[in-house]
Amino acid sequence: MPERVALAPAPPAGAGLPADGLVAVVKRDCPTCRLIAPVLAQLGPGLVVYSQDDPAFPAGLADVRDDTGLDVSVALGIETVPTLLRFGGGTEVGRTEGWLREAWEELAGVAGLGTGLPEYRPGCGSLTHDLEVADELLVRARGGSLAARRLEIAALEDEAEALFERGFTDGLPVVAPTPARVLRMLQGTTREPGEVVAVVPPNLAGATVEKVAINAVLAGCRPEYLPVVLAAVEAASTDEFNAHGLLATTWGAAPAIIVNGPVARALGMNGGGNALGQGNRANATIGRALQLVIRNVGGGRPGEVDRATLGHPGKIGFCFAEDEAGSPWEPLAVARGIAPGTSAVTVFAAEGPRGVVDQISRTPDSLARSLAAGLRAVAHPKLALAFDATLVVCPEHGRVFAQAGWSRGRLAAELAELLLLEPAEIVRGAGGIAEGIPAGAARGPVPKFRPDGLMIAYAGGGAGMFSTVIGGWVGGPGGSRPVSREVGS
Amino acid sequence: MHDFVALEGLGIPTMFVVSSEFADAVDAQARALGYAAIPAVYVPHPIQDRTDDEMRALADQAWLTAPVSA
Amino acid sequence: MIVLDPTDERSPVRREPLRRRSVLDGVRVGLLDIAKPRGDVFLDRLESLFAGRGVTVRRYVKPTFTKPMPPDLRREIATECDVVIEALAD
Repeated sequence: MPERVALAPAPPAGAGLPADGLVAVVKRDCPTCRLIAPVLAQLGPGLVVYSQDDPAFPAGLADVRDDTGLDVSVALGIETVPTLLRFGGGTEVGRTEGWLREAWEELAGVAGLGTGLPEYRPGCGSLTHDLEVADELLVRARGGSLAARRLEIAALEDEAEALFERGFTDGLPVVAPTPARVLRMLQGTTREPGEVVAVVPPNLAGATVEKVAINAVLAGCRPEYLPVVLAAVEAASTDEFNAHGLLATTWGAAPAIIVNGPVARALGMNGGGNALGQGNRANATIGRALQLVIRNVGGGRPGEVDRATLGHPGKIGFCFAEDEAGSPWEPLAVARGIAPGTSAVTVFAAEGPRGVVDQISRTPDSLARSLAAGLRAVAHPKLALAFDATLVVCPEHGRVFAQAGWSRGRLAAELAELLLLEPAEIVRGAGGIAEGIPAGAARGPVPKFRPDGLMIAYAGGGAGMFSTVIGGWVGGPGGSRPVSREVGS
Repeated sequence: MHDFVALEGLGIPTMFVVSSEFADAVDAQARALGYAAIPAVYVPHPIQDRTDDEMRALADQAWLTAPVSA
Repeated sequence: MIVLDPTDERSPVRREPLRRRSVLDGVRVGLLDIAKPRGDVFLDRLESLFAGRGVTVRRYVKPTFTKPMPPDLRREIATECDVVIEALAD
């Protein structure tokens, strides 16, 4: 069902509504309207009837008006037919929906209405809420606010095929961004459609709220996801995040999103079992919407600016929530400087995730060593100070740290200590592997990650002692740094 | 025309040879399929009553006008 | 159906045909007969014109001109040809 839209609630002046008297809104398609047609006749020639679907219904009344355009129904905010309204002194003074004899008699000031009819019959939905009609009304009322170029999918084209052929998709089908769908999407935000959200790499095209909304429709988002997508687009378009470099590198990482704060729960996002996997609409489509904005607005397409040697499946979209309720630590966004209780996204460069098994360690020291061993392999076990990474700690591992009183900062510090690599082990040629740091480049132990180059999040299902390492890309000023942004309205 | 779309979709540049009588139909269907125009080579109508020699002459004519001979 | 353009709007609205090949050297040419009468004579002549240019063509015939070609023929052409000439619609 489309979101209901409040359209121009004030009745237009001079629309022909009586200043004083009764108005009924009906449609022939509604059995209750047909049932009470004799009642309308009883109300006499002063009654004005608006008919939503057939100006010839009901027959034999003095003043039946054609509202097949639904203008009056929209103006009166009709939800149900029949609706009987009383006007007095030029304004509405009362209304009743459906058929309830008592209510009609009271509103009309007439007794003995519809004798022989049942006391009560519910009405039917107003035609203004019919999906197609609602779309048409929405486009009529708000279509003028849309600035994007309109493309016609021709009569002989299949809509899904046409969107593939025009290059708008990531290889999976997309939802056709009709004006009505885009307008409904835009109702997910209070921001104006024309506002420029970000200048999106690599083409440095200005992405308006409307363009982001169009891509959110393509991705399959619901309107309430839009503020998260907007925040992610902003974060990914920053100089710090360096999406252009991330795309253009042959390394396969791509933007991923961690969502924190009340919005994650409000959207039903998954931070629990299979958080990094499939099956949750918000996780799947928010991540996809960001990728589609980069593709369609930014022009970052594989084989063009996107030069990834292999890439990874998460480039379709990679987004999950942190399990804040289960976490022994403050939310990731809070650790990164966002105010507590605030919804936020953190966008970071991500390869595909890889699990780290440790089903034996009962002490934080032992478990940290396991996780450090897994992290050491990021990019290459012999490369240091090169690539960033994210560690997603699962609940059964998090429990070990929580019981020992290790904070996120403590874990990060312990991991940093464990990930000081001895030059002799990582120099070129060591271990019979040519790859490594140049001889003489390091005189002492070398940190695996730059300061702040390891981000620690908490997510996952309650069972399974498997945390996950998500390799990143070159960190720091020449590469990409994670960026957090508050989610607006 | 659908063959044209299918083959072009597979990355195969496709030339469509059609009698001049159908120029309007080609244009209309091109638009209906989302193209501004479809590269076609037109040969003079009619076709069905032509002798073999006339058909060969039409082919020669098409050969000279089509970009494929370039 | 109208859809809104999700891109930065730098590309044309309409679909564009693929760029024509300007050189035929080494290009695999397919001649597709749509199976209307007389088309074969026309295509025979084109085949000999191509032969005069040292280009060997492959010939294909649709089962009927009244329908789009079947998928197996499409696959066959796709694996065997770089360009196709389809004739003769009247």
